[in-house]
Amino acid sequence: MWRRALRGGPAFIGLRSGGTKAPWGFHGPRACSAPALPADRITVLQAVDFWTKQFEGKGVSEPELSSRYITAYLLGAKTMESLEQQRLKEFLSKEETDRLWELCTRRLSRMPVQYVIGEWDFRDLTLKMRPPVFIPRPETEELVELVLTDLQRLLGCGDTVLEVGCGSGAISVSLLKSRPQLKALALDRSQEAVDLTRENALRYGVQDRLQVHNIDVMKDADTLLGLSGSAAVLVSNPPYLFSQDVATLQPEILRFEDRSALDGGEDGLNVIKQILTLAPRILQNQGRVYLEVDPRHPPLIQQWVEVNVDSLQYIETRNDICSRPRFCILQNEARKPDQD
Amino acid sequence: MASSFIRQMSIKSWRLLWGASSPGLSQLLKPSQPGITCVLAAGKNDLTDFPELVEDELEEQFVRGSGPGGQATNKTSNCVVLKHIPTGIVVKCHQTRSVDTNRKRAREIMREKLDVAYKGELSEVLVKKRESELRKQVKRRKVNENLERKKQFKEALAAENKPGNDSL
Repeated sequence: MWRRALRGGPAFIGLRSGGTKAPWGFHGPRACSAPALPADRITVLQAVDFWTKQFEGKGVSEPELSSRYITAYLLGAKTMESLEQQRLKEFLSKEETDRLWELCTRRLSRMPVQYVIGEWDFRDLTLKMRPPVFIPRPETEELVELVLTDLQRLLGCGDTVLEVGCGSGAISVSLLKSRPQLKALALDRSQEAVDLTRENALRYGVQDRLQVHNIDVMKDADTLLGLSGSAAVLVSNPPYLFSQDVATLQPEILRFEDRSALDGGEDGLNVIKQILTLAPRILQNQGRVYLEVDPRHPPLIQQWVEVNVDSLQYIETRNDICSRPRFCILQNEARKPDQD
Repeated sequence: MASSFIRQMSIKSWRLLWGASSPGLSQLLKPSQPGITCVLAAGKNDLTDFPELVEDELEEQFVRGSGPGGQATNKTSNCVVLKHIPTGIVVKCHQTRSVDTNRKRAREIMREKLDVAYKGELSEVLVKKRESELRKQVKRRKVNENLERKKQFKEALAAENKPGNDSL
């Protein structure tokens, strides 16, 4: 069943715009100038073309990609490229056309494609997406890769990972799926995120190894410390945008995604600093912190940790695929090795 | 460095991959000699014997836009274009909606294509070698035959000039 995106965006109640000859259609209050259903049958390619032009006309970003993703989803595929050429020339059924019109109309309000189709790929997973829970970004796929590579050096079975700000559960579910012996503890201040993370964990059968809690790391630090044992890894894609930059974000983000998943304060470091402050009490000795951050952050974080968090050692900065500094790795040196 | 050049490109960003700088590819990177020497070790049919990729020889393109990326952007473009510089072979992959997965699959496809390309070249090289060997053999045979004929001719002449000898 489709949930309407009621939070943070215009409500869609009907699809019908006036003056169509189509024998079928939805009746109800006019939505924001949604195009009428076609009078005749159309092919897949014609539908893609039609909606590309609609999106272009209304200034919707990525008009062709949006049209292609939504249409592919309708036809049971991830991308148009993975469909048979023959399929593209076939006519859509009435039901398919109705459904396509319903989905594409949602995109007209600048709803992100991921929310329109209710899912998205993250590494080898297909995760449920639902507004206003933050949509995983491609950069975060690399964060998971970094953690996985490092987990190999930790040989213990039943190691625990702690994730702060789990959102849809992308990071935790990914890690658990890749490492059958791993356990994870995931937190988010949003109950909707907690719910969605649990759904995605269930979808991939890792729910028995994942605990999800509705905890705000800024306000409930004590609760968090009471929960966690000694984690091998602390991982987070925390809100890291600078407050002043949030106002300039594209409508897809501003209207539909949870602002608190994005806004890291004046310098974008509010949540990051809190995580790093708590890290020595969350991590086992030699345990590591993996953070996704704003490209301006790494040197700032390095300096700040040097002064403010005694036992955290800054290990390195890694770049993302667009060569921007994106990931910070730190290590908990609770005791010096020769003091053990 | 390439990073400032890359940021200037408004739509596409070409990226030269160097060694293990990209975390997503660590399991695909293996130290190997570039070029023909590693290929001679390959030559069977299953994927594990396809030529290993050398990341220094690859150029990768993502249509990511010029924006800040990360949380500040919600772009759905994740098509990957991979180019193998020495052979000029280009692979495009948009099978999934995950950049990471598309990159990995593009590399798998590239290895298959390189296998065909190298095998093709290999057999061509061998054929040419064989042809040149044959030519040498034929030439040697002709030279020997000529020598033999000359020898016999001389012997025949010598026999004719000897009195009382009626054989040739």
